[in-house]
Amino acid sequence: MRLLYINNDGGGFADYVDVTEGITVEQFFKDKMQGSKPDDFLIRVNRQPVPREYVLKEGDRVTVTPTKIEGALL
Amino acid sequence: MEDKKNLIRMADKIQEALIKLKHGRYLELIRQLTSFAGKLQELTAESRKMGASLVKGWFSAAERCCKGVNRLLSDIPHSVSRIQQLTDVPQKEIPKLSSLVDELNQVQQEFGSLELDNAESTISVITEPITLDDVYLGPFRIQLELKKFSELYTTSPYCVIALEPNPAATDEEVTHPHVSGNKLCEGDGCVTIRTALEQGRLCDFFTMVRSILNTYNPDSPYVALYDWNGEPCYDCGYVMSREDTYYCYSCEHDFCSQCSTYCRFCEETVCLGCSAECPHCEEMVCQKCIRRCTECEELCCKSCLEENVCPNCKEEMEKENEEQECKISETNQNGNPSQSETGETQIKLAS
Repeated sequence: MRLLYINNDGGGFADYVDVTEGITVEQFFKDKMQGSKPDDFLIRVNRQPVPREYVLKEGDRVTVTPTKIEGALL
Repeated sequence: MEDKKNLIRMADKIQEALIKLKHGRYLELIRQLTSFAGKLQELTAESRKMGASLVKGWFSAAERCCKGVNRLLSDIPHSVSRIQQLTDVPQKEIPKLSSLVDELNQVQQEFGSLELDNAESTISVITEPITLDDVYLGPFRIQLELKKFSELYTTSPYCVIALEPNPAATDEEVTHPHVSGNKLCEGDGCVTIRTALEQGRLCDFFTMVRSILNTYNPDSPYVALYDWNGEPCYDCGYVMSREDTYYCYSCEHDFCSQCSTYCRFCEETVCLGCSAECPHCEEMVCQKCIRRCTECEELCCKSCLEENVCPNCKEEMEKENEEQECKISETNQNGNPSQSETGETQIKLAS
């Protein structure tokens, strides 16, 4: 099944990705953001906060936005 | 909560701004390509001229052509990189009106409020009060200006305004370690913020700006948080950054550059109160290197003292000695005239 995955960590690209049926949002995050802690990100599915055991559905829009981003002097 | 009509009106403006941005990007690409093609044409012309010069055996003219080619070649990498930047990321479709309304609704949910100014074409949210490393910076308004949206590739179309400003003591423009003059230095967030704006993902844009405001990067702030309140000069009270303070080893306080100096002998930094100007050489001297004249008790630097006596006293003492010597010689003259005669002879000989 296909999802729209928007990763705001790094390049901030929005892409369609193929995932296995029945995958939870927690597992999806672990697969895509290896080594990152979910607590450091704002995870939204179809613009809404969801529980970690939420099972993703075909066409869902998943957004991952870091809650800590380092600014810098130009 | 903003009413639905207002949200739709604003979503329409966002869509218009995105179309303008997309249009502007293609226009810029055309401009860059035209300039690049012009350079290639110039290279062809130089090559033709060089061929003609060689046929006639004009080597100096051919050399001039070489220089022209060199100059043109040095401009090409910049043009190529700019064109690549503009063509690198394939442009997404402009979001539908309904999607932009959803974005605005999501912003309302995430931030609790949303301010739309249709007249000024601005969209604003207000963050929670921000405290970083125990420094209270207050809440900030993140204001996106749709009128500046088309300038996204050259300038920042949004500003970050401190609502309860607690600026750095040394610079009133700096209201946050990463905000100066209401402009945020995005650092790591630069590309993602631009991409979110290009794609009309307003909620991602606002949340990322908030994430930067909630994070302190000690490696690259305008003003470091440890230095936020600055350091007042112990003497005049002028507030400066810690890097600009001068520590007086003598009284052990921090001073500004105006209220401190250094000892010309031991080169230690001292405040003006713990130093004195030598009245003879007029150099500043610290308490360790200053001495009292044993005769007049005047303060004087080490190098101006001779056998613990200041130059003035030394001069006086020398005068006194000379006078005494004169008296002695006069007494001797009266008692032994033959010596005086000998002296006169010596002077005459010398002259």
